[in-house]
Amino acid sequence: MRKRVGDYILALLIILLLNFLLPRLMPGDPITAMYGDAHVEMTPQMEAHLLERYGLDGPMGEQFVIYISNLFQGDLGYSFYFNAPVSEVLLGALPWTLLLVVISLFLAAVVGILWGAESAWRRGRRFDRASLVAVMLLNGIPGFVLGILLLLLLGFFWPVFPISGGASPYADYTGIARMADISRHLFLPALTLTLAQLPRNFLLMRSTLLAVKEKPYVFTARSKGLKERLIRYRHALRGALSPVITRLGMSVGLMFTAVLFVEIVFAYPGLGHLFYLALQYHDYPTIHGCLLIITVCVLVFNLAADLINQKIDPRLRQKDARQLLE
Amino acid sequence: MHVNYWNEIKKDNLGRKGLYMIGFLAVIAVGAGLLAPHDPFAYVAPPLNPPSLSHPLGTNEVGQDVFSELLYGARTTLLIGSLAALFSTLLSLITGLLAGVLRGWVERVLLRLIDVMLVIPVFLVALLVAAYVQPGEVTLIVLLSLLLWPPGSRIVWAQVLSLRGQGHVAAARSFGAGQSYVAIRHLVPELYPLLAVNFIQVVRRAVFMEAGMAFLGVFDPSQKSWGLMLHYARDFMFTEAWTWWLLPPAVAISFTIIAFALVGYSLETALDPRLRRPVYAGD
Repeated sequence: MRKRVGDYILALLIILLLNFLLPRLMPGDPITAMYGDAHVEMTPQMEAHLLERYGLDGPMGEQFVIYISNLFQGDLGYSFYFNAPVSEVLLGALPWTLLLVVISLFLAAVVGILWGAESAWRRGRRFDRASLVAVMLLNGIPGFVLGILLLLLLGFFWPVFPISGGASPYADYTGIARMADISRHLFLPALTLTLAQLPRNFLLMRSTLLAVKEKPYVFTARSKGLKERLIRYRHALRGALSPVITRLGMSVGLMFTAVLFVEIVFAYPGLGHLFYLALQYHDYPTIHGCLLIITVCVLVFNLAADLINQKIDPRLRQKDARQLLE
Repeated sequence: MHVNYWNEIKKDNLGRKGLYMIGFLAVIAVGAGLLAPHDPFAYVAPPLNPPSLSHPLGTNEVGQDVFSELLYGARTTLLIGSLAALFSTLLSLITGLLAGVLRGWVERVLLRLIDVMLVIPVFLVALLVAAYVQPGEVTLIVLLSLLLWPPGSRIVWAQVLSLRGQGHVAAARSFGAGQSYVAIRHLVPELYPLLAVNFIQVVRRAVFMEAGMAFLGVFDPSQKSWGLMLHYARDFMFTEAWTWWLLPPAVAISFTIIAFALVGYSLETALDPRLRRPVYAGD
């Protein structure tokens, strides 16, 4: 466990280093590299202020110290495109992304695990084969293609859901009406993201359960004469859940990649959309901020998966028992 | 690990379909110059023409032939996908071997690096780098190779450890064979099936990442790529043009990824003895 936390901290450091070094390794003056297109509109005073504030003409080591200390004070720089501090811009977008990710993660996990389990119990039969083919096809369609198709189908040709945004603009809904409005906007992005994540969970659950159902303890449960339902859902499923949840936690990084595309397709006002806008306008401080906050999210989710796992699998609670399982 | 994986794929229904699909794509990629009715870079007709006899999929917003673009797109996709997969698999092999054979601090450093890289959202890092250097084909291949090696490396390392414990390797060592001799003569050949699976999987990921980056517009716009086609076509998605301009590259990307997924899945099944077991009646 302590090693895992160490990995997370190292990963964070690498991202920080990347964010720090990339703009500074670019040829040309540092302000252009840091602020991209916004440099053109800066006054000499602003330039001088930025140079001084971030120590951009000092030696690298000094710059890094300033960078890190700014970071710990929540100063991620200033976005000239949004005309606001980056931290503020990010905090405005974060809840939308978290809403989308948490809901889709949950749905994809529940559906994927149950479907995969059912398929594994019926291995080789028609249900299993059909499921496999369906999942393989679904797995091949990238999230943005899926999103565009769903958008055209359910937003345009048969317009049951709004095609963009996270809530109706200027509508001033309150209470339940606002929640309904947000849910309506959430539906298509969440559906896309869930469908994009589903295949991995399905395949993982299926192959894990295929291995688990041959285990001696399942045989024991069966020879005790337990009901089939009990064997399947209390004994086998629980044994197969632990690796699946670990991998689910590991896949959150991919989830944040997928959410980027989904948000762009549906113009959903989260971090992915923000990242895209920043990318288009070369708003580097915002790009770096997005990357940093997404990495932090991934790490937090990974850690959460590890903790949940310890709750579910008593074997993991013992110190260093992890290695035994691997 | 002595599995004739070529035969295994051909025997497997899904795997065979995947192979046919990849073959089809390869023919298009190689023969794009002969098959394409027009130069995909030339402005051959008025913009946004609907499909006609001379332009089977109409024209795009600047009057280039969409069908020809689609054929040349296969070339870009397969080139980037296969080269990125080749280099990253080589990296996996080298790092995995180094860690498994040398052990000690080399192993510790490499494994730690792999664990850390598995946590980092690589696609976003690729985008960050691409935001500074608008990547062309070569840059993208290098970038993807550097980002996609860790999972394969871990698998190679684990396999090397298990191989080292086996009789023939121990025998070779006891006859005085050096580490590098054993690695090249005894370990690498046994790793081929694993490397093949890894290669196929990385092709799939690389194709996805190339398409995704081009879709986001961070790819050299002078190239012909399915992702770029989607990028431009998306502005016209609510017009008639979506059927002939947006749908074809979308289908092409999915087709390619599915093809590699099918082959990869059937290879994996062939190599995993757990999944190879015959199906019992009560199963």
